Order: sequence, then structure tokens, then C-alpha cells
Amino acid sequence: MIQLENHNVIIQNVLTERFVKPGRVDINFVDYDNVRFHLSTPTSKTQLVLSMGIQCWRDLAKYGVNDMLESEYGEWLIRDGPEKEQEYDVSLMIDLEKIPEDEASRASFIYHLSMLKPMILSAPFRRAYETHKQLAAAHSPETSSAEEKQGDMMIIHYREEEAFVIQSSWDRITVYISTAFKEETDRVFGRVFLQEFVDARRLSNLQSAPQVLYTTREPPLELRGVPGLKKSDDMGYVTFVLFPRHFANEDIAKGSILQILTFRNYLHYHLKASKSYMHSRMRIRVHTFGQILNRAKPEVQAVERRTATGRTFRSR
Amino acid sequence: MGFAGNPEPSFVFPTVIATHGSSSSGSSGGKSTLSTPNRSGAGVPPPVASKPGHLASKRGIDDLDFFIGDEAIANSKTYALHYPIKHGMVDNWDHMERFWGQSIFKYLRAEPEDHYVLLRRERGLFEENPKTLFERTRMVSNAEAAVDLDTRRDGLCMGTEPPLNPPENRENTAEIMFESFNIQGLYIAVQAVLALAASWTSSKVTERNLTGVVIDSGDGVTHTIPVADGYVIGSSIKHIPIAGRNITEFVLNLLRDRGEQANIPSEDQLRVAERIKEDYTYVCQDIVKEIRKYDTDPYKYFARFAGEHSVTGRKYDIDIGYERFLAPEIFFNPEIYSSDFLTPLPEVVDNVIQTSPIDVRRGLYKNIVLSGGSTMFKDFGRRLQRDIKHIVDGRIANSEQASGNHMRSTGVDVNVVTHKRQRYAVWYGGSLMASTPEFYNVAHTKEQYEEYGPSLVRRFSVFGSSS
Repeated sequence: MIQLENHNVIIQNVLTERFVKPGRVDINFVDYDNVRFHLSTPTSKTQLVLSMGIQCWRDLAKYGVNDMLESEYGEWLIRDGPEKEQEYDVSLMIDLEKIPEDEASRASFIYHLSMLKPMILSAPFRRAYETHKQLAAAHSPETSSAEEKQGDMMIIHYREEEAFVIQSSWDRITVYISTAFKEETDRVFGRVFLQEFVDARRLSNLQSAPQVLYTTREPPLELRGVPGLKKSDDMGYVTFVLFPRHFANEDIAKGSILQILTFRNYLHYHLKASKSYMHSRMRIRVHTFGQILNRAKPEVQAVERRTATGRTFRSR
Repeated sequence: MGFAGNPEPSFVFPTVIATHGSSSSGSSGGKSTLSTPNRSGAGVPPPVASKPGHLASKRGIDDLDFFIGDEAIANSKTYALHYPIKHGMVDNWDHMERFWGQSIFKYLRAEPEDHYVLLRRERGLFEENPKTLFERTRMVSNAEAAVDLDTRRDGLCMGTEPPLNPPENRENTAEIMFESFNIQGLYIAVQAVLALAASWTSSKVTERNLTGVVIDSGDGVTHTIPVADGYVIGSSIKHIPIAGRNITEFVLNLLRDRGEQANIPSEDQLRVAERIKEDYTYVCQDIVKEIRKYDTDPYKYFARFAGEHSVTGRKYDIDIGYERFLAPEIFFNPEIYSSDFLTPLPEVVDNVIQTSPIDVRRGLYKNIVLSGGSTMFKDFGRRLQRDIKHIVDGRIANSEQASGNHMRSTGVDVNVVTHKRQRYAVWYGGSLMASTPEFYNVAHTKEQYEEYGPSLVRRFSVFGSSS
């Protein structure tokens, strides 16, 4: 597994099971970035309520997540009211009597539902695309000065100490992701990884990848004025520069959004995986050293032993 | 594995990992040197994976090319399957570490690290259950709303261990969990204790104590484990080599004896036997009467099983007769299955209790808890209770007689607790305990780990002993 999956496996499993055979459920589970899910059947077995709580909801609400939900999940959405579950930000009501009948569309519907979290997080990206389109349309090289070409900075504090910032301009969209490395070892690995991302772009077959920049400790210059970004040794900042070709059509745009959204967890997953790899190498090494030590036993010297009278022992 | 506070695990899959290339040769080579005592810190020398041979693989990402659980089995044609847990002990720590990694990141999708969250704490706590080859791995991870602002400790991790697990295994587990996954806290619980905790859901249980005998029967082996106030009485643990797999085999034998087997396609036989075991069997109270009942009126008692050939789709059906009650009977009369092991389960339980310290025996008789899939048979608990009671009463009568009828016993309470969550009792117990606030007090934290090192987990604090 190199890439993390985008969808939530538990939603997919449970829904697949319940769509065939309705039954009571009441489960709590999580996803990355402090997302909480609650799937339950409060009223009847055929009405599943899927609720999701996300930390950066207030940020997302500023950047048009509600419109996005309306368009993607409008039919199932529970609007504000007593029916909506408290403590959660989004609630979907899935009525088992209204779901599609045939296998294929059912599977794609389930997949669509299990993509709830990435969908919600992609709202600011969509807005960035819109802004980019407007700016690009309004742009003419002679008149506009540098300041006019920039869109607003959209800051999403998706974790306690970490945030991502999206800024669109007439010719590009820039995404800044900050991430914290808790452990000393993680920090070292993280530095290597981030450097690797920059270096990898020099390969000829990766020329069309977005430009990647990284800084550790200090946020990049563009973000100096942004509040709430920490300056410490364990922070890393990654900047992706998306050019129009990365969001040329719907599919490519979606792909790049999902890649960026999972980037932080992808990075941390690989840190853990490389630590595991290191550990296995260490175990091999310890084992081989152990073998060498075991071989290095002092040999028992076969000295001929005599009695006082000079007779020898006969060994049997 | 799943999240704490839920009644059922979200994922149940075997502890199996499918890796590319054969590393089996390396591990078998490593085995031969195991007999020499090794003083290195890690204790048991790991059976290592084969060395990455050529330079290309060193720079590559071969180590990520693997599957776990059901996906591993699905890919068994192109990948080599490994069972990192052998006979209840973790055997290959490389595989185990990777297995854990993928479980967390792919299935639970929880960050093992802590995250300081306002108004809510999120704990990933997983429970790992190395028992037998086909034993299931369970993970509990908890994301429960917290009322207070206290976010000191998040990402707690919890593991379970089989009885008589060497402490080095615990240390290794702690090392992996703290070092690779940066978890914030770890608690390694004993399975039997969790099974006892799970029995608190039963309506028969009035007081929540941690004294009792746990009968844990999975696929490979059945353990009877006496627990006193949360401490396992290690010297009295007994293992019975009769469990789910033997029952399936026995069903198959019975079908063969009656000539029914001819109707089942050979590749489906094991599966059909399993289905019969799970869906049709029950425990009878008197085997002779039951056979007579079946003989006089077979049409009433014989069940029909309709199957479908898994490849060709051809339909077939078979009669299910005596195996309905004879299959679980091998716990009570093992001689009908094989001559290798002849002590019936009630007698083993009685022996276990009799070898325990005398002052806990009453408590042990009072609370005999069932756990694991092979204890799910209908009326299993009732029969067990009756048989144990029979043995105990017989002994009391004997000793009364031996004392010349001067002493009168008040009698001993025998109580077998059955409950709805038996199948995943250990998981459920973990889920239950992990959602108590007390969990935070008994779990080992990362700070403690950094202070004391992996030997920390040798110390053991009991859960809920005061409650």
C-alpha cells in the first residue's frame, strides 16, 4: 500500500452490509484529522443516519462547504433542525427504501457516501478553482499589478497545530500545508522525505508534477502574516504550486485535490512505514551479529593430561 | 478490531500477512540457531525476513508491497502468506509491525499519535490478540466525546495477551507501539480478564468482580483460566486440545459415517461442516435419550441442509442427523472423538478450580464465564453447569460421609455465565474497559515509557479491581 485510500472503509463495509440486510447499528469511529463519525439507526431500521464532526468546520463553512454539500448530497442531507444530531457538523439520512436498486449504482452510491470527508474538505479547493477562473479571465498583462492578481488566502486549521492555506492567482493555485512532527526521529525522517519530494521532481518523467517547495521551522515568506502558524523546530511547511494543467478538467482537478488532502497523512504513514523498515533491518543486523557472537566460542584445547607418575588418560 | 464503546468490532480478519517474494527460507534458517541461549536485550531472537538481495530493492518500496487480513488471503496466489503469530506468540516481529501499521492506517484510519483537540479527546486504542494461528486480531480504537478539556493523553493503545505470554513479548510490543507509532499510552490486558469484564453485560451477573474461571474456546485450543481479583492464577491454567476445528472435523467424520458425505462436493466439505456446526448444533442434556428420540422419529428431528456447489452452482442437499447434538458433545465426552484426550470439560474446570488457592474456589465456582466462538452452542452453559454441579455435589457428599455425617456443608454455588457477546467477548471487554475513565489511570503513558524503557510493561496494574 503506497497511497492511502481516500474513502472510509468502515462506512463502506457497514453500508454494504446494511443495504442488503437492514438492521440496527450504533457505531462510533474516526478518520484522519480528528474527524469523528457516528452511524446509527435512531428511528427505524431502514433509516441510517451518518453524522460527521470535523474540527475545521467553521473554517470550511466560510469557504462554501454548505453549497458543496447541497450539490453533492442534497437529497440525503439533514438541514439544521431538531433532527440533526448535536455535536456533529454534518448529518446525512440514508433511507434504505430510496437507494438505487442495481448492484453497480449501489456500489458507486456507497462509495460516494464513504467519500464524505474528502468531499467536505475539498470545498475550499473548488472555491479556489472558481477564483482562479475569474482572475484568469480578468487578467491582462499590461494593466493589473501584482497585488490584484491574488485571490484571498483561505486558511483551514484542519488539525490543532497544523493548517493548510490555499491561495489562487491568475496563473496558479498555491497550497501551503503545515505539519508537525512530534518525535525527534520523525522530524529527521520528515526532513529527508520532504527533500526527497523536491528532488524527485528533477526526474525527467515527473516534469509535469506540481512544483514542490518545503521549509522547516519557519513558514514560507508568503505566509508570514498569517495568524496561528507556529514557529518551532518540529514544524514542516510544504508548498504545492498547481498550474492550470493540474485542474484542467473535472477528473484531473478531483485527483489533485484528493492527493493534496491525503498528503499529510500520507507523509506520516510513510514515516511510520520507514521506521518499521528500519526496525526490520536492525533486527536482521542484530540477528547476524548474534550468530557471529555465537560462533566465537573459545575452543577447548586438547591438552594431554598426565598423572603424577606420567601415565596418560585414555579417552573413550 | 474496531473502536471502543461499540458493541461489535468493525473488522474481523485473520492475522495473516501476504508479502512479495519468499521470506520463508530466511525464517526457517533463523530457527536453527534459536536453541542457543541469547542474552541480547530483545530476548527471543527474531526469525528474520530474507535480506533484501540486490541494491535496487534497497532503494525501492518493496516493504510496502503487502496485504493483510482477508485481502492477503485473496492475493495468496501471487504473494506468500505468513502468519506472524504462531501458537499464540508473536513469532515474526517484522511482519507483526507491518501488520499493525497497515491495520491502523488502512482500516482504522486513525492517527496513532496524539492530537490535542479542543473539547474532545480522541484515543486510538487497539487491542491485539495473538492467540492461535487462525485467531483473529482485534483492535479497539476509541473516539469518544469527552466532556472535559483535558487532552493530556490521547492516542492510548491497548493490547491483550494470551495467558502465559512471556514478558519479552510484552516488551517488544511496547517498543513497537511507542517507537514506531508514537502512541501516547499503552495498556496490555490479559484476555481472560477482559472476558470476565464482558460478562458483566449478562443479566445474571449482579456484582462486578474480576474473580472467575474463563473458558475461552476458539478455533485451535480451549483454555480454562482461573482469575482471582484480576490476577491470573498461572499455575492452574489448563489447555484442552479440543476446539472449533476439532468439532468441524468431527461433524465431517459423522457425515462420512452416515454416507452423507458423498452428496457434498469435496472442495465444499469443510465449509459445509462449518455451516452445520454453526447453524444446526445444540447441546443435549442426555445423550442416550437424545439418540433414542432421533431413532424413533427421525423425520421430526433430522434437519435438511441445502447447499450450492461453490464452483459449478449445482444444488445439493443433505440430511443432518445425530451430529446436531453429537458435535458439541465432544467437550463432555471426548472419547467419542479421539482417544488422545479423554478428560471431559466439566472435569477439567473442576480440576482447575481445585488446584487454585482454597480461599478463591468459592468465587471461581460462582462465576464460570464462557468466551470465544466455540462456546456459542445452545444450552452449552446449562449442560456445563449441571455437570460441574454434579461433580461438586458428589465430592461434598463424599466428604460429609467421610466425616461421619458430623459436618454439614452449606453447599457450593456453581454458576456458568452465558451472555450475548460471547463470540467477541475479549474484544467487547476491551471496548468496555477502554471507555471507562479509569483506563487512563492504569495505562502506561509515553512519558513513563521514556523514563523507564520497555520494561515498564512488566509491571501490571489491574483494572477495575476495586469496583
